Amino acid sequence: MDLGFKGKVALVTGAGSQIGFGKAIALLLAKEGCDAVAITDINLDDAKLTAEAVKALGRKSIAVKADVTNQAKVQAMVKKVIDEYGKIDILINVAGGVMGGGPLEEQNPEMWDKDINLNLYGTMLVSKAVVPYMKKQNYGVIVNIGSGSTHQYGPPHGVGMYAISKAAVDVFTKQLATVEANTGIRVNCVAPGPSPTNFIKAPDKQAVVDMLAKTIPLGRGATPEDIAYATLYFASDISGYVTGQVLHVSGGSVM
Amino acid sequence: MDLGFKGKVALVTGAGSQIGFGKETALLLAKEGCDAVAVTDVNLEDAEKTAAAVKQIGCKSIAVKADITNYTEVNAMVKKVIDEYGKIDILCNVAGGIIHKDNVPIDKQDPAVWEKQLKLNLVGTMNVTRAVIPQMRKQKYGVIVNIGSGSTHQYQMGVGTYAMSKYAIDLFTKQLAFVEGEAGIRVNCVAPGPAPTNFGAILREDMPKLPPEEMEKMRAAMLGTFPLGRMGTAADIANATVILASDVTSYVTGQVFHVSGGSVM
Repeated sequence: MDLGFKGKVALVTGAGSQIGFGKAIALLLAKEGCDAVAITDINLDDAKLTAEAVKALGRKSIAVKADVTNQAKVQAMVKKVIDEYGKIDILINVAGGVMGGGPLEEQNPEMWDKDINLNLYGTMLVSKAVVPYMKKQNYGVIVNIGSGSTHQYGPPHGVGMYAISKAAVDVFTKQLATVEANTGIRVNCVAPGPSPTNFIKAPDKQAVVDMLAKTIPLGRGATPEDIAYATLYFASDISGYVTGQVLHVSGGSVM
Repeated sequence: MDLGFKGKVALVTGAGSQIGFGKETALLLAKEGCDAVAVTDVNLEDAEKTAAAVKQIGCKSIAVKADITNYTEVNAMVKKVIDEYGKIDILCNVAGGIIHKDNVPIDKQDPAVWEKQLKLNLVGTMNVTRAVIPQMRKQKYGVIVNIGSGSTHQYQMGVGTYAMSKYAIDLFTKQLAFVEGEAGIRVNCVAPGPAPTNFGAILREDMPKLPPEEMEKMRAAMLGTFPLGRMGTAADIANATVILASDVTSYVTGQVFHVSGGSVM
């Protein structure tokens, strides 16, 4: 199926990790025909590795360092991408992560700030910087990364600001989708289930995922490719009539 | 994107209408590489037209008549498809519809219509699924896509059994996805917004005939309430259905996916 990416410019945040969703998405966007896929990450060396992998597929790419929680740096990063490619058609907000957890009384409110800053404000700040350019071109597609944890209230998740910050990303997705619909911008969200990315701190990531997968109807964890395919559907005009949706790619653990 | 349909056999119900979701889905499955797309409808001549269109793409097809509310007919239809192609990998439950405009106060509604409505949409979808599931289990592989409706989240339409029957399909989707997950069967649902299919004709029944400019005003007012400002097309629905039918969504099950221009979030 032709996803219509010819001539399109994409920006993927949090695409530095070599085992993460961001890189898998960037590579699939490149493979499916995007003209350029800009890569950003808080770690520039990692972003460069991903940009090189995109270029190896014959597409244009630049790596730009940005801490998504810093508005000035985000603005500069987006400007650099625009200066390079003249536009941003597709924005994939992958940057995020989990900071704290545990019993509520033991949690440090500073960790709450960090979770909200990284996951919610980070997504909002990058969107805020990109939306004006999308409005100007009367076209734009934004895909946010949510989380299955927004619908899992018991152990091992517990009361976690991570899940709460991702639930806020769901609402942000719907609000922005509604407000910007008449400017040609669609906004959707992919909510992944457990996957062996850097998100899991334990050394044997797959073992943690396999343990979690025991209660998942499809009996396995997510791969970065699972998330990348769903993200590409939203990023493509084949989903031109879809906006404000949260799609759980979590093996049926959230229904 | 290669959707991995090579060698796959699909069955699409309610694919007779030449302007409906079913035909569009059948054609897209064929175009994207399915080996065979069987087509069923309550109207055999219509189904044959769609089957001919599928064959024109270079994909195998048969048309089989079945009233999905009749389990004996459904079972025979499914058997015929399996006899012909040896398996069913993909089932798209498109057959359904609105029996009667029931957006009138509940005391004006006819319970006989409720029964017919539930039978067509809910029991019909369950009948076909019931007949196909044993084969999918045997294969340890199957993908089912049901067609839901945006009306499940639009309460201003009033108390309508149509919307309730579709909401029941949402639940059926999740239950079946949960139970059959370990059998290698995925079940999802695409919930369309309004689209220019035959569906609208019944809604317009006994509506006062309005001058075209009045109709246009009404249409614009309705579209104005959709964030994306347009009606859906059969292609919008087929694209979502085919993506959910493909192994690119092999980690997606039990999901109800609204393709309705943002009218349901």
